[in-house]
Amino acid sequence: MSFTVKKAGDVTIFEVEGTLIVGNRQELKQKVLEEIEGGARKVLVDFEKTTYIDSSGLGVLVSLAKKIRESGGDLRLANLNDDLQTLFELTKLDTLFQISESRDRALESF
Amino acid sequence: MSDLDAVLSAFRDATGCSASVWAQSAPHDPLHIEGGDPGESPVPPPEQRPAEGSIELETKDGLQVVARVPGSRAAWLSIGPTTDFAAARLGAKLLLPVSAQVLRSQLEVSHAAQDLAERYEEINLLYSIGEILGRTVSLEDAATTILTEISETVGARRGAIYVIDRTVGLLRPVAVLGAAALADIAADDAVAVTARVFRTHHALLVADGAMQCDVEAPIRRGAMLSVPIMWATPQGGVPLGVVNLSGRRGGQPFTASDQKLVAAIATQVGTTIQNTRLVRASLEQAELTREMALAHDLQMKLLPPQDSLAPDADCAARVAPAESVGGDFYNLFQLGDGRVGVMIGDVSSHGYRSALIMALVMSATAIHARGSADPAATMGALLVSLADELRETEMFMTVCYAVIDRRGGTVTWCNAGHPHAFMVHGDGSATRLAATDPPLGLVDDAPHAESRAWKADDLLVFFTDGIPDARGTPKKRLGEAPVLDVVKARRAEAPWRIVDGVFALVEGHMGEMPPRDDQALVVLRTTDLA
Repeated sequence: MSFTVKKAGDVTIFEVEGTLIVGNRQELKQKVLEEIEGGARKVLVDFEKTTYIDSSGLGVLVSLAKKIRESGGDLRLANLNDDLQTLFELTKLDTLFQISESRDRALESF
Repeated sequence: MSDLDAVLSAFRDATGCSASVWAQSAPHDPLHIEGGDPGESPVPPPEQRPAEGSIELETKDGLQVVARVPGSRAAWLSIGPTTDFAAARLGAKLLLPVSAQVLRSQLEVSHAAQDLAERYEEINLLYSIGEILGRTVSLEDAATTILTEISETVGARRGAIYVIDRTVGLLRPVAVLGAAALADIAADDAVAVTARVFRTHHALLVADGAMQCDVEAPIRRGAMLSVPIMWATPQGGVPLGVVNLSGRRGGQPFTASDQKLVAAIATQVGTTIQNTRLVRASLEQAELTREMALAHDLQMKLLPPQDSLAPDADCAARVAPAESVGGDFYNLFQLGDGRVGVMIGDVSSHGYRSALIMALVMSATAIHARGSADPAATMGALLVSLADELRETEMFMTVCYAVIDRRGGTVTWCNAGHPHAFMVHGDGSATRLAATDPPLGLVDDAPHAESRAWKADDLLVFFTDGIPDARGTPKKRLGEAPVLDVVKARRAEAPWRIVDGVFALVEGHMGEMPPRDDQALVVLRTTDLA
C-alpha cells in the first residue's frame, strides 16, 4: 500500500493505493493522527485506487472515525469499488460512515 | 648393541685394535661412551683431547690416536693404545667419518624424537579440547578447563577467554586464569588488545610493556598472546571472541608455534560457541513449537463437540487457524423446548491476541446464551462483557448468533457484521441472514435480531471470511459463490460431508499457498420433532 496526502480547502484527503490490511494499517493510522494533531478536522479517505480492505483495515477506519469525532472533526469515505461497497453493506459498516460515490460529492458533503 | 658398537667391534676383530667413541650431550656435561670398549680404549683427559683433527699419544701400552669427531656435538674417537701403529692410523682414517655420520644420525633422531614429543603434546591438547568441547553444549562449563589446558601446554600462568555479547557489543570474560574476575571490554575499545584482535581477526604477539591497558592489566605479566576465536564460514569467518595468554614461565616470549597452536584451539572453541548457539536456538524453537501445539490443542478444546446438539440437530463444524491459534470460533447451545443456538465469530486479525479474545467470548457466551433464548439479548450481554477489552485492544469481531425454534418453525438471528451467514433451502436456493448491526466493539448500541421461517429441509451455513478469501495466488480469491455452490450441490448429504466438501474446495484452490486468515465453517440441519 502507498498513500498520498492532499489538501482541498480545509479538507485533508488521503488517497489509498493497493490494499489496506493488517501489515500496513498502522502506517495510515499514524499519518492521519499526525494530520489531526496538526489541526486537520475534515478528513476524506479516497479508495478509488484501493483493491482490498481486510478486517484490520476496517478496524483502523472505525478507530480513526472515533478519534476524529472526539477531536470535533469528521471522517468520510469516497470511491469504494463494488466489492468494498458490498463489504461495508454486509458488515453494516455503511451505517457508521458517510460514504460518497465520488471525491467531488464527498467534498461537497462537508 | 648400537650401530657404532657394531662398527667398532668389527674393526677390533679385523685389526686386533680396540676403539671407542665418547661424546657430550650438552656443553659442560661429562663425557659418556657412545660405543666401543671404554676399558681397552679409555678417553684421555681433557688437555689431551684435540679441538680438531687428531693427536697421537704415546703410552706405556703403545700408541693411542685421539681424534675430534666432526659435528655439532663435542665427541672424540679413541683408538688404541696399540703397538700396531699402522692399524691405529688406518682406523682413525676409516672410523672418523663413520663415527661422525653415526653421531649425526643419532642427533637427528634425538631432535626428531623431541619434536615428536612436542607435537604429541600439542596433538594431545587438541584431542583433549575436542573431547571437552564434544561433551558440552555450554562453553561456559568448559571454558575454564580449556583455558587451563592451553595455558599448561604453552607455559602461560595467566589467561582469559572472552566471548562477544552482540546485543550490547561487549566482550565478556567466560574464563579467567591467574587473576580475579575481569571486566567486560567494549568491542570498539580503542586501547584494549582484546578488542583490536576481535575487530581485525588477527592474532597479536604483544611484547612485555607494550600496548598496556587497565582492563587487561590483571592478566598481563610480561608478553601476551592474543588470538581471535573465529567461526569459519564460506565468506571467511565471523569473530566470536578472543583468547589471551600471558605470564609465560621463565619470562620467555610466545612463539609463532604457540600462536599457531592457540589459533587451532580457538577455531575449535569458535565452532563450539556457534554450535552451542544453534543448539540453544533449536531447543528454544522446539520449546516454542511444543507450546504452540499445546496452545492449539487448548483452543480447539474450547470449541464444543460437534454432537452437542444431538438429538435436536445434526451439526458439523471445523476451525482451521492460520497460525497455531486464531480468532475464529463457533459455539453450540441446546436451549430446551426444541430450540438450538448456533454462533460463529471472527475476531479481527489472527494469532494470540485474537485467540485470547476468542477464549473470553467462549466463556461469556456459555453463560449468557443459557440465560435467554433471544439472540439479541445474548449478544447484548456479550457486548457488555467484552466492551472494555475490545476498546482497550482496539479489536472488534463479527458474530452471528441464530436460534432455531423447531417447534415454532422459526430462525431468529442477531448478526453483528458477519457477512457469511446463510440458509440453504431444500430447493437449492440460499438466503443470506444479513447483518443486523455493525461488528461488536465498533459501536456501543445494543444489537438487534430478525426472524424468518425455518423448514425441516433447511440448512444453516455459517463461515468466516478466511474461506472466501482463500487464495491460490496473491490475486486469485476463492470468493463466496463457489462455497455456496458446494453446499447447494451437497445439501441432501450429512453436514460432515458438506464440511469436507467445502474444505476440499478451499484446499484445492489454495494449493501450496499458506492460509492468510483463520477459516471456520458450521453446517447444521435440524431433526424432526419426536
